[in-house]
Amino acid sequence: MSETETRVSRRDFLRLAGLGAGAGLAAPKLAGTGKKTAYGAKKFTDPAGRPQRAWWVKTVDEPTTEVDWSKVERYNERTGTVRGPGFASYVGEDRAEALGLVQRELTSERIRNNVPGYTLKDYALDAGQDQRLGMSFMGPQETDTPEDRGVPKWTGSPEDASRIIRAAMRHYGAARVAFLELDDNTRKLIYSHDPDGKELIFTDEQVASETEEARYIPNKCKYVILYLVQMSEETLKRAPTMLASQTTGLTYLRGRQIQNSTQEFLRGLGYQALGESSTNALAISPALGIMAGLGELSRFNRLISPEFGPMVRVFKMLTDLPVATDKPINAGILEFCKHCKKCAEACPSGALSFETEPTWDIVGGFNNPGHKAWFDDAVKCMTYWREGAATNCGICFAVCPFAKKDQAWVHSWVKAGIATVPAMDGFFRSMDDAFGYGAQKDNEEWWYLDLPELGVDSTRPVSEA
Amino acid sequence: MTDKTYKLEVARRPWYEWLAWIAWAFAVVFTLQNAMASSVELEPRVASILWVVGIILLLGGAIVYFVRRRILSA
Repeated sequence: MSETETRVSRRDFLRLAGLGAGAGLAAPKLAGTGKKTAYGAKKFTDPAGRPQRAWWVKTVDEPTTEVDWSKVERYNERTGTVRGPGFASYVGEDRAEALGLVQRELTSERIRNNVPGYTLKDYALDAGQDQRLGMSFMGPQETDTPEDRGVPKWTGSPEDASRIIRAAMRHYGAARVAFLELDDNTRKLIYSHDPDGKELIFTDEQVASETEEARYIPNKCKYVILYLVQMSEETLKRAPTMLASQTTGLTYLRGRQIQNSTQEFLRGLGYQALGESSTNALAISPALGIMAGLGELSRFNRLISPEFGPMVRVFKMLTDLPVATDKPINAGILEFCKHCKKCAEACPSGALSFETEPTWDIVGGFNNPGHKAWFDDAVKCMTYWREGAATNCGICFAVCPFAKKDQAWVHSWVKAGIATVPAMDGFFRSMDDAFGYGAQKDNEEWWYLDLPELGVDSTRPVSEA
Repeated sequence: MTDKTYKLEVARRPWYEWLAWIAWAFAVVFTLQNAMASSVELEPRVASILWVVGIILLLGGAIVYFVRRRILSA
C-alpha cells in the first residue's frame, strides 16, 4: 500500500470519528481491518475483494475436472445445442413438432384440472418474469464515457479493478464474482457461434463490433467476469412444475439486469464489457466458472458452488479492463458426485450417468468433448421437458445434497467432511436420504410462505464467510 | 456450642464422567440447533426427527443425572 493510501487526512480522521458527514467515504482507509458492518458484512480483507471462503475450500492450479485441451474445440451453440430449435436437428422435425403438441396439450389439461404447480396462477407467475428485458453483446451503451465527460478513464491496479467490479456487481445482485484471463486453452470455451448463428471472431481491432453475420471480440478483451446469481430453493425444490420452472427464468432475468448494469458501469469507467447477446450465449458458463473457482463440475454437468450448492446460475462477460484473476478450487464436490448419484436416480428421463467415474466419452453431438465428465443425454432430458414435465425440469438441482440453506450447523460440518474425508461420502448421502432431503415440496404450500425478496438470502455470501 | 460432629463425604465423579457430560451437552445443543434451524429452512421432516432426538437426549441425560446422583449419594 502506498504512503498516500495509508496516511489519514484530518478530514478522513473526522469522518472516522463520526464527526463528519459521509463517514462511509472513509471505507478505503478501513479496508483490511475486517471491521464488521451491518448484515454481518466485513470490509474486504483481500486487495482484490475476494470474499473469505470456508477453510475446506482449497485453491488449486488445475480444476478437479480433468481437461485435455488438445481435444477441446470452440462449441457451435447454434448447431450443437438441443435447446430451442436445435432440438429438432437431433430428433427430427416431425418428432419435435409432435412433442411440442404433447407439451401444449399437457399444459392445457393441467391448468384446467388445477394440478398443483401447474395452475393458472403458476403460469401467470412465470409470465410475470418472462425474459423480455433486452440484452446485447455490447450492452446498452447509453451512459456517458469518461471521454464524453472530458475526463481520463478510470485507472487502478488489477486488484483495485477486481475489487470495485465485485462491489458494483454485488450491489447489482450477483451472489459471487470471479475473474479469469483467457489464454490459448480457455479461449476455446468461447463459442464459435452464438445461438442466433452469428460467428464469434477474435480480432486485433481495438473496439468490439457486430454485423449481420458476426460479433467481433477484440483480443484485448481477454478478461472474463464470471458471476453467480442465486436461485430460489423454495420454488425449485417443487420441481418439476411450472412454479419450479419459473425459477430459472427469473434468475436469467436477474442475470440480464446485472449484465446490463455492469456493461454500463464499465463503460462509465472507460472500458468495454461484452456480454451474452441472448440467454446462454457467448461462452460455456459452467466451464469458465469452474476455471475461475466459482465451483466444481457435478454429475449433472452444472456448476456446484461450495457456498450455494447447485442453486445458482452462472453468467459471464468479457472486458478489456485488466483484473486480478482467480484459480480453480477443490472442495471435494466432484469426488462426492462419484458416490452420490442422487440426481441420476431421481432423473425421470434417465438422462444422467450412473457410472462411478467420469469419462472422456461423449454421449452425443450436443456434448463438448475434451474433458472428463458424466456426459448427459440432453435429448432424453429435453424430451422429458416436453412430454413429462411440460416445463423446464430441474429435479437434478432440487435433489442434490448440496442444495441446502445452511442455517443448520450440520450442513457446514458435512461439507467440511466431504472436502476432507471422502470415505464418508456414502454415509453422508445415506443420511441425506434418511432425513428426507430432496423430496418434492408441496406446490400449493408455496403460495402461503412469507419469503425474503426474490426467495433468496442475499446475506449468505458474507454471513457465511 | 455443641460437641456434635458431622462427617461429610464427597463423592468425586471420575474424569471420564465429566467428559461424558460435556459430550452430552454438546450433542444436545448441536441437535437442538439443527432442529430449530431445520424449521427455519422449511425442512419439516428433518426438524421433526431432530426435535425428537434432541428431546430424548435431553430427558435421557436428566434421568441419568438423577440416577447417578442417587448412586453417588448412597
